[in-house]
Amino acid sequence: MNLSFLKRMSLRRIPWGKVGSYAVMIFFALLYVGPLFMLVNTSLKTMPSFMKDATSLASELHFENFIEAWNKANFSKYLLNSVIYTVSATTIYVITAVFVAFPVARGYIKYSGAILTLFVIALFLPPALIPQFQLMLRLGLYNTPIGYIMLFIVNPVGIVILVNYIKTIPRELDEAAALDGCGYFRFVWSIVIPLIQPAIATVVVMHAIGIWNEVIAPTIYLTNKNYYPITRGLIVFQGVYGSNWPTLAAAVLLLTLPMLVLFLFLQRYIVSGLTAGSVKG
Amino acid sequence: MSYHFGRGWAKWTPYLLLLPGLFFYFLIALGPSMATAVYSFTDATGIKGAPVHWVGFDNYREFLFMGRASVDNLDALKRTLIFCFIVTFVQFGLGLFVALIVNQNLKGTNVFRTIYFMPVILGVVIQGLMWSLFLYPLGGPVAKLLSLFGVRSEFLGGQPAEAFAWVTFIQIWANMGITMMIFIAGLQTIPSELYEAARIDGANSWQIFRNITWPLLTPSVNTNLLLNVIGSLQAWQLFYVLVGYRNGTQVLGYLIFATGFGQTSGSVTTSFRQGYAAAASIILFLLVLVIGMTTQYILQRREARILE
Repeated sequence: MNLSFLKRMSLRRIPWGKVGSYAVMIFFALLYVGPLFMLVNTSLKTMPSFMKDATSLASELHFENFIEAWNKANFSKYLLNSVIYTVSATTIYVITAVFVAFPVARGYIKYSGAILTLFVIALFLPPALIPQFQLMLRLGLYNTPIGYIMLFIVNPVGIVILVNYIKTIPRELDEAAALDGCGYFRFVWSIVIPLIQPAIATVVVMHAIGIWNEVIAPTIYLTNKNYYPITRGLIVFQGVYGSNWPTLAAAVLLLTLPMLVLFLFLQRYIVSGLTAGSVKG
Repeated sequence: MSYHFGRGWAKWTPYLLLLPGLFFYFLIALGPSMATAVYSFTDATGIKGAPVHWVGFDNYREFLFMGRASVDNLDALKRTLIFCFIVTFVQFGLGLFVALIVNQNLKGTNVFRTIYFMPVILGVVIQGLMWSLFLYPLGGPVAKLLSLFGVRSEFLGGQPAEAFAWVTFIQIWANMGITMMIFIAGLQTIPSELYEAARIDGANSWQIFRNITWPLLTPSVNTNLLLNVIGSLQAWQLFYVLVGYRNGTQVLGYLIFATGFGQTSGSVTTSFRQGYAAAASIILFLLVLVIGMTTQYILQRREARILE
């Protein structure tokens, strides 16, 4: 009896659950890696070989697609624009946001609760698209980099994240610093900001990725080609080279690869930033 | 809430430093958002200096009841609801299923998680172009696979319903990773002792899921459902990148953009009708409000029942 019991156990050891799990995980992974692989493969082919058989493996590696894409798509200019928009808007946003979040979290200003509610409300209000456009038009900021940056110096979700994090920092710190003669600005700037770095990283990453990937706002606000960010540049490039997939794929990859590398390094903050929408619930 | 950093004038420093953030928020987000309602009663255009008149409910009347356009509008509204329904439930189901699998104590699950989350950071333009290529109708990978079963498809360039179905699929593909990550975070808050105890009591996997995982996952369930509902009602960027403004595929969000800022694509041309677009925005907002509140209400009742 003992033996048959052992036998049954060893039969059970074929870990069907495990095998099934891996099968599912690999199936989904193929769905995600497939399009990326197709992009890489196409970018290394010539146009004739793509026309002949779109899915065949690239037999020779044609890196000239990348050079062609880089030169023809005016990428260096668009990339620089994207960097300028993302960095400046994110910097302004985060600094102003900390000075909103800190006194609100601490109750150092009157109606702190009401102010916080104002930020939460925004998540449920109608889209600001039309009046925002009218505002920019009237301020003379339509089709200007300054106006474009201004669109992105606001983000209520980030404020909520910062407030929640600041609340976990002990109040006694404020008193001690004040007793030592530290002023308000210096306290927030050189003590609070370093202490809330994880929350700031989350907010920065969430906000920056949003700006970097934005495609509708440049379509609406920027008509001058010199101001295009890279997303808009890529759409325009697709309009011109839409049928030349090897070059277009190289162009898309030139943008995808740095994002993927950045993702692998900053994964923790990116995931917490992009799932931070959960504070909405 | 005593304030420690000085007296007299120094007390006003926090207010002064808070001002820029609050000002920008009112100027760029809150103000315009509320002004949408005002614009919806005017005939504003996107042209600088053009006169603006008060037109009462004309925009709403036109949007909902007048002529051929209103039929298209109501179709778009219906399509928005279908899109929301499919995306919400499929993304929720898949996200939960994948989260449960990836959350097991197995080798390599981290890598799989990263892979599924990847599209989220790439953004709609790259997601869209990637899939345009993957769905290349003349012998692309999906076309070849389908031809094995004797199916031919024009994918994004085919029948409107077909293009719509593909965009719906890609929308779920792109955002499933967020749903999954929120579920994983929820799963990790469930104490492992509960599972051990249940297993000792001889519970099978389904019983464990039904009686432990599912009820304790309630916060993530609520968050995901609400985010999916609200997000999918407002999502239209993938339609913009993948198919453009095409009759038979538009959803409300895209319609607002197209009527407000002018789009020409194929047979459809729209002009800068911003008052009208604002009215459409308000209709979308009401839709989000009603469906979002209903969802929230159902979820809260469910939560109360579980806690009993």
